[in-house]
Amino acid sequence: MAFKDIEFLQMRYLRGPNFWTYRPVIEAWVDIGELEQFPSDKIPGFAQRLEKWLPGLIEHRCGVGERGGFVERLKTGTWPAHIMEHVAIELQTLAGMAVGFGKARETSSSGIYKVVVRTRQEQVGRESLKEAKNLVMAAINDSAYDVSATVNTLKAMVDDLCLGPSTACIVDAASDRKIPSIRLTDGNLVQLGYGALQRRIWTAETDRTSAIAESISSDKDLTKQLLSQCGVPIPEGQIVHSPEEAWEVAQSMGLPVVIKPSDGNHGRGVALDLNSAQEIKAAFRVAEVEGSDVIVERFIKGEEHRVLVVGNKVVAVAKGETATITGDGKSTVEELIESQINSDPRRGEEEGFPLDTIRLSEHQHAVLELQRQGLEPTSIPAKDRVAIVQRNGNMSYDVTDLIHPDIEQIATLAARVVGLDIAGIDLVVEDISKPLAPQGGAIVEVNAGPGLLMHIKPAVGSPRPVGRAIVDHLFGHSDSGRIPLVGILGDQQTGILSKLVAWLLHLSGRRTGLACSEGLYMNQRKVQSEDARNFDLSERILINRALDAAVFETTILQILNEGLPYDRCQVGILTNLPKEAGLEDHDIKTTDQLLSVARTQIDLVLPQGVGVINADVGEIVGLSELCDGEVILYAESPSNASIKEHLSQGRRSVYCKDGHLVMARGDQETLLFPLDFKPIAKLIKDEGLETSTLLAAVAAAWALDIAPLLIRAGLKNFGQQVANHASLLSEKSSQITKSIKN
Amino acid sequence: MDVSRIRALRGPNLWTRNTAVEALVMCESEEEKDLSIDPQFEIKLRNLFPGIGPLRTDQKSKITIAHAIESAALHLQIEAGCPVTFSRTTKTPEDGFYQVAVEYSVEEVGKMAINFAIDLCNSALKNEDFELDRAVIKLRDLDEDLRLGPSTGSIVDAALSRGIPFRRLTEGSLVLFGWGSKQRKIQAAEMDSTSAIAESIAQDKELTKKLLHAAGVPVPMGRPVADPEDAWLAANEIGLPVVIKPRDGNQGKGVAVNLKTKEEVMQGFVNASRFSDEILLESFLPGSDYRLLVVGNKLIAAARREPPTVIGDGKSTIFELVEKVNSDPKRGDGHATSLTKIKFDDIAKARLIEQGFSDSSIPSKGTRVSLRNNANLSTGGTATDVTDDVHPEVAARAISAAQTVGLDICGVDIVCETVLQPLEDQRGGVVEVNAAPGLRMHLTPSFGKGRDVGEAVINNMFPPGQDGRIPVIAVTGTNGKTTTVRLTAHLLRTHGLRVGMTNTDGVYVNERQIDSGDCSGPRSARNVLMHPDVDAAVLETARGGMLREGLAFDRCSVAVVTNIGMGDHLGLNYITTVEDLAVLKRVIVQNVAASGMAVLNAADPMVAAMAQNCPGQVTFFALDPHHPVIATHRAQGKRVVFVEDDQMVAMQGKMSVRIPLSEVPLTRRGAIGFQIENAMASVAAAWATNIPWEVIIKGLSSFISDAVAVPGRFNVFDYKGATVIADYGHNPDAIKALVQAVSNIPATKRSVVISGAGDRRDEDIREQTRIIGEAFDEVVLYQDACQRGREDGEVIGLLRQGLEGARRTQHIEEIRGEFIAIDCAMDRLKPGDLCLVLIDQVGEALEHITKRVKKEDHAVLSTL
Repeated sequence: MAFKDIEFLQMRYLRGPNFWTYRPVIEAWVDIGELEQFPSDKIPGFAQRLEKWLPGLIEHRCGVGERGGFVERLKTGTWPAHIMEHVAIELQTLAGMAVGFGKARETSSSGIYKVVVRTRQEQVGRESLKEAKNLVMAAINDSAYDVSATVNTLKAMVDDLCLGPSTACIVDAASDRKIPSIRLTDGNLVQLGYGALQRRIWTAETDRTSAIAESISSDKDLTKQLLSQCGVPIPEGQIVHSPEEAWEVAQSMGLPVVIKPSDGNHGRGVALDLNSAQEIKAAFRVAEVEGSDVIVERFIKGEEHRVLVVGNKVVAVAKGETATITGDGKSTVEELIESQINSDPRRGEEEGFPLDTIRLSEHQHAVLELQRQGLEPTSIPAKDRVAIVQRNGNMSYDVTDLIHPDIEQIATLAARVVGLDIAGIDLVVEDISKPLAPQGGAIVEVNAGPGLLMHIKPAVGSPRPVGRAIVDHLFGHSDSGRIPLVGILGDQQTGILSKLVAWLLHLSGRRTGLACSEGLYMNQRKVQSEDARNFDLSERILINRALDAAVFETTILQILNEGLPYDRCQVGILTNLPKEAGLEDHDIKTTDQLLSVARTQIDLVLPQGVGVINADVGEIVGLSELCDGEVILYAESPSNASIKEHLSQGRRSVYCKDGHLVMARGDQETLLFPLDFKPIAKLIKDEGLETSTLLAAVAAAWALDIAPLLIRAGLKNFGQQVANHASLLSEKSSQITKSIKN
Repeated sequence: MDVSRIRALRGPNLWTRNTAVEALVMCESEEEKDLSIDPQFEIKLRNLFPGIGPLRTDQKSKITIAHAIESAALHLQIEAGCPVTFSRTTKTPEDGFYQVAVEYSVEEVGKMAINFAIDLCNSALKNEDFELDRAVIKLRDLDEDLRLGPSTGSIVDAALSRGIPFRRLTEGSLVLFGWGSKQRKIQAAEMDSTSAIAESIAQDKELTKKLLHAAGVPVPMGRPVADPEDAWLAANEIGLPVVIKPRDGNQGKGVAVNLKTKEEVMQGFVNASRFSDEILLESFLPGSDYRLLVVGNKLIAAARREPPTVIGDGKSTIFELVEKVNSDPKRGDGHATSLTKIKFDDIAKARLIEQGFSDSSIPSKGTRVSLRNNANLSTGGTATDVTDDVHPEVAARAISAAQTVGLDICGVDIVCETVLQPLEDQRGGVVEVNAAPGLRMHLTPSFGKGRDVGEAVINNMFPPGQDGRIPVIAVTGTNGKTTTVRLTAHLLRTHGLRVGMTNTDGVYVNERQIDSGDCSGPRSARNVLMHPDVDAAVLETARGGMLREGLAFDRCSVAVVTNIGMGDHLGLNYITTVEDLAVLKRVIVQNVAASGMAVLNAADPMVAAMAQNCPGQVTFFALDPHHPVIATHRAQGKRVVFVEDDQMVAMQGKMSVRIPLSEVPLTRRGAIGFQIENAMASVAAAWATNIPWEVIIKGLSSFISDAVAVPGRFNVFDYKGATVIADYGHNPDAIKALVQAVSNIPATKRSVVISGAGDRRDEDIREQTRIIGEAFDEVVLYQDACQRGREDGEVIGLLRQGLEGARRTQHIEEIRGEFIAIDCAMDRLKPGDLCLVLIDQVGEALEHITKRVKKEDHAVLSTL
C-alpha cells in the first residue's frame, strides 16, 4: 500500500535570529497524515532504503549525541517530519553547502509538525526541504528516487545563488570574528559590520581598493614601467628592428631571451628561452612576420608563483607546475602526455581532482607551447628530449612557508607601487626560498581582485587563512564593525520608549537610526511613515553608512514571521510579555511558548552588552539568566524582590524611591530627578508616559553609558523636538548640548 | 644651416626654470651668421610668418638664423595656443654654432615647433612657400591631443598654485602629485582613494538606488512590471505620474514619461515591450536635470543641464538654426572649449521626428526644438551654474548619496523643479551617481560663474599646509659628491627616515640597491622621487644629466655644492671654462625652494659666489674659521660650519654645536682634510633638514659601520702607512667611479690589482684597463679563478691591450692567482702609496687582506 503524500501547509524563510536559532532557517509546517501512526520502524525497509540513498546520514548525531545517532533513531522509530529535517540537511551538505542545524516539533494539532532547517540561501533551503519530502515519501513507498539528480540540481543552485568561494571565505572569517555581514546583491557584494562601521567587500576587492590602482594593474606595460622605476625586477624588454640588433640587445640584456611581437597575443610568433645568435636571429624573422614591432625580452627561468599580498603583508604563496614530457624515441607527443602526465593520480576531469588532465584538443596553449618547440601532437620527440607541455598549470601547490623575506619585500613593494591593498603578484622564479634578483627572477604581473581559491584549496600543502587575513586587514584587532544597537520588545509603550532611547542616543552625539511603529527615522529625520517594525525597513538602518547607532522596536510576530534584522544587539529591552493578535496562527498558545519567543530579545544581547528587563513582570524576570551580558532590572519600587536580590549581588537597577527616579548599583544610589520635576511631570501627564517606560528609558541610557546629566537633560527636552525637520533639529540639539555643557 | 641634436630639457636647466627644447644650430654662410647682411631674408621670413615676433639677441653678437629659429619656434607655439614665453639663443665658443632654447608646455609640440621653425627658415632662405596654417593646425591638434584635458588640467593647475609638484605618468590623464611617501595620484576626476567597489556600485543603477533609498535619499521608486495590468497596479502603488522604460534600454528608446492615466500607463508598457522583455516602472520626477559635484564631504558645484536646443525664428530651417548655434566660437569639436557643437546626427533627427519635425522644418518664432534627450555637454548640451542656489537639505542629500555609494569625487544627478527647495517637498530625487564626473561644466559653464573644482580636489588630497614634498637634497661639485651623498643619507636614516639616494654607483631606497651603475642623472632621481617608500631623497646631481635633461625636480629643499676647484671634463658640451662649469652647477642652487637652504663651500670662490643666486638661505662651510666668507656670514648671524680645535663647529648666532673630529671616523680623527669638508657639507645638509643634533652626532660616529656591512664596497685599509682599497668593481662604469673616488685620496704612487671577467665583451674588458692606464703608475694583472669560457691567458691578453699606450702606467706585472697578485702589490707598497685592489672572490680576498693588515698590527678598517 502507498502512503498519501506529506503535505506542506506553509513554508517561510526566517532571515534573521528567530524563535529557533540565531541563524537564517526555513520553517515548514507539514501534515504527515496517517503516517502519524507509522514511525520509521513500522515501515519495512524504509530505514535501509534511506541509509542506502544517503550514506552520509550515519554522521548525523541527532539527539543521541554521537555518530550514528540519527540512524539509531530511524531504527528505533521516529516520525517523517524529523526524518525530513535530517534529509534536507544532508541534501544541502551534499550540494556543497555545509549546514548543521535542524529541528522538528509537534504542534498542538495531531499529525502537524514544524520542520526547521538551517540554510545559507533561501531558494536552496526551500528546494532541499521540498526534495527531502519527495525522497522520504519515495523511501516510505519503496518507489524510485534519483538522489544524484537532486544533488546536482541543488549544486547548480548553490553555484548560481550562493556567494562565490572567495567571498564566502572572507564572510566566514568575519563570522568567526563575530563581525556581522549583509549581502547587498545577488552577487558577491557584501557588507561587513553595520552602519558607519561597515566595510564592503566584492570578492577580493575592498572598499579601500583604489580604482586607479586597478586601472594601472590592468595596463601591463604601465605596471611594468612603474615597477621597474621602483627597482622591482621585471622582464625588461626592448623593441628591436633587425636580427642583428636583436642579438646585440640580447647580449647586453643577458641570455636567454624571449622574442615576440609587441602586440602578440595567443603566443603567435613568440619564441622562448633563446640562447644563441642563430636562434635569436631566426626568431626575429618569425616574430617580424606578425606585423607589429619585435620585442626582445629577458627570459625568466623558473616556475610561476602567485603571491597574495593583503595590506602590505604576504599572506599566501602558491606555485604552478610546469608539465613536461620526455621523449622515448617511439611515442608521439599525445601518447607521452597520456603516459607521463595524465597518468598522475591527482589529475582528473572532475572538480574533485586538484589538477586537470591535459587534452591537446582542449588546451590550445599547450599546442602552441609545443609548436614553439617544433612539435605537433603527432610528432615523435627524440629519446630523452624534454618538452614543455604546460608552462604554468594550476596554481596548486601551497609554498607560503618557503618564501624568502627578500621576495616578500619585493612583492609587497609591487602592490604598493601599483597602489593595491589586496593584490595577486605573479612572479617567475626558480627557487622561491632565495632572493629574487640574484637568480634572475621577476615579477610578471600584478592583479587586482585576485582569486583566493588556490590558497583556500591547494592541491598540495595546507590551506591558508586568507579570508581571515582580509578581515584582519579591514578590521582592527578588537573591532567588530558593530555600532550600538538597541532592540525593544514589550507591550504598549515600546513606541515612545524607542523614540526616547533614540533621542538620548542622538543627544549623546550619535547619528541614530530608529525603526518603530511610527516609521523610519535617520538621524532624527523621518524618511518613511509606514510601520517600520519589519525586516526590510529595519535593515535600511544597518546598511546606512551615516548612522552610528540604531534603535529597533520589535514585535513577537516579527520574530515569528521573518526573524530579526540584526544578529546581536548591544542592549535588549524587554518590558513585558506582549500578547499580540495573530499568535495562534503560529501555534503559540501558552505563556511558556510566548516566553520562548520573547526570550529572543534577551538571547541576542552581546556578552559585552546589557539586557534591560522589567522586574515588575514576574514571568520575564527569569529570562535574566539567558542574557550573555549584564542585566539591568527596573521596577516601580525598590521593594521588588528581584530588584533586592539583583542589588545584593552588586548589580544595576533603576527604580523610584521617595518620589525620585534612582539609578542604583549595589548599595550605591544616584538620584536622577524627582518625578514631580516639571518637564518630567509634563511628559507623564501630556504624553501619557508611564513611569515604567521612563524607568526603562533611563535603564537603557545607562546601559549605553550615557551620562546621568545628559539623561536628565534629554528627558527634560523630549517632546519639545520639532518633528521631522533635521536642520532645525540639529540646530536645536546643538543648543541643547551646549546648554548641557554649560 | 644645419641643426643637430634637438633635446628636451624636462626640468629646470641651464637656460630656464621651465621645460625647454634645446637645439644646436650651425650657421654655415656669413649671411646666416649675420642676418643684417641680407635684409631681404627677414622680409621674406616675416612674409611667411607675420607673427614671428622680434628677433632679439641679448649678447653683443649679431642676430643669426639661429635667432630666427628661436623666435619662430616660440611664436609658432604661441599661435597654436601654448602658454609659453621663454626663448634664448647663445653663441658657443665654436664658430658658427649656437644653442637655441625654447620653452615648451608639451614636449612633442615643442619639438615639432622647432622642426617647423627650421622648415620656415629654410623656406625663407630658398625663397619657397611655407604652409603656415597647416603648421599651426598641426601644432594645435597635437597640443590638444597631448596636453591634459580640462578636468585633469584644472586639478594640476590647482596643485601648481599650492606648490605641489606633479608629474604625468602616461600620455593620458594619470598624474602623480607629490614625491615619495607623500605622493598621491589622480586620473581625471578620480583620486587614488576613490574606491573601485564604489565605482562598480555607481555603474549598477538598481543597486545604487537600493543603497540610496536605504540611506534615506529620495530616489524614483519603482519595480519591474510583467504586463499592462501589473504596470497599472504598480503605478498606483508608487503614485502617479510614472515613467515606463525597457531595462537596459539605450538612447531613450521605448521610454515614456509623465504617464498619468490607466490608458497611458498600459500603452506605455506595450511600447516599451517592443524594445525589451524586462520593463521597469518608476515614479516620474518632474523638473530639470541638475548635476551636483561632491568632493569629500562637501558640495563644490552645481549646474543645471539642458539638452541642445534651438529656438525657431519663423524663417530658418532647424538645420540652419543648428548651424547658427554652432557658429558660436565658444562651441568646439572636443572637450577643449566650454561648449561643444550640437551634433546633427541620426539621434538628433530621431528626436526631431518625436517632436513632429524634420531637419527641413521651419519652426515658428519662439518654438523650442530639442535635439537630444540627454543634456550631455559632449553632444551640445548646456550647463548653467546654480551652485549658490542649492538648498542645504538638497546639498545634504547629494553628499549623503556620494557617501552611501562611497565615492570621494562624485557627480550626483538630480531631477527636481528647483534646487532652492528640499527634494522631499517637490517630488525630486537622485537619479544617478557618477564616478569620475566631468568637471568642464563647472569649470566653464555655458552660463554663470565658473567654480574652482580643481582646488577642491587638491584640498581634499592635500590638507592645508601640506604640499606633498619630501626633503630633497641635491648634491653637486667636482669632488666628494658621493661621500657627501652617502653620509647625508646616513644621517637622515639615523633619524628614522626612509631615504632614497642616487649616486654614481646606484640607486638605493631604504638601504636596498634598486639600480646600479652611474645613477647621478635625472632619470634615477625621478625614480627615487616616485618610489612609495621614500621619506627623504639625497640626490647626486651630475653635470651630464643637467645638460642632457635638466633637473628631475622643480625645486629642492637643500642644494649642496662641494667644490668646483679646477673642474673636470672641461671642453665637453661647450662647458669650456671653470666659470661655465660653475654656471651649470649653480642650477641646483638657483632652484632651491624659498624656504630651502644652499650648502656652499666658502673656501671655493666659485662656489661661494653662488650664494647670490640662491632664493633661500645659505649655510657656508670651510675648514678655516677665519675665512672671510665664513667670518662675515657668521657675523651676520647666519649658519656656518667650520673646524676649530679639532672640532667641527656648527654655528648660527649664539647657537653652536661642537663635534670632536675624533668622533667622526670618516675623517680618521681629522687627518683627511677633504673628508672633513665632506662631513661638514653633510652636517649642514642634515641641519637644514631639521635633523636633531644628537642624531647627527650619532650618525657621524656610526657611519663607519655602514661599510663593514657592505663588504667589497670601497673597503679601506691602512697598511704600513699606505692606503689599500678593496672593491668589487668589474665593469668600465664601476672602474671609472673607483678611479674617480681614489683620485680624491692623496698618494705618492698609485697601483692597482685587476683581473677581467671572461663573460664580458672584449671591448669592455679592454676598456677597463684603458681607464686604469690613465690613473695608475703600476698595474698587477691577474688571471681570474674562473675564466668563464675563455682560453687560458685570453683575458689577460685583452687587459694588456687596454694598457697599450697608457699615459700613466709605467710598470705592469702578470700573475696567476688572486691572493698572489694581492701579495705582490702589497709587497711593493711604501708609506704614502695607494693601492686599489679589484677583488674577485669577495669574502676570501677581504679576509686575506685583513689578515695581512692585522699582522702589521695597526689595522684600521674604514671606508670613504
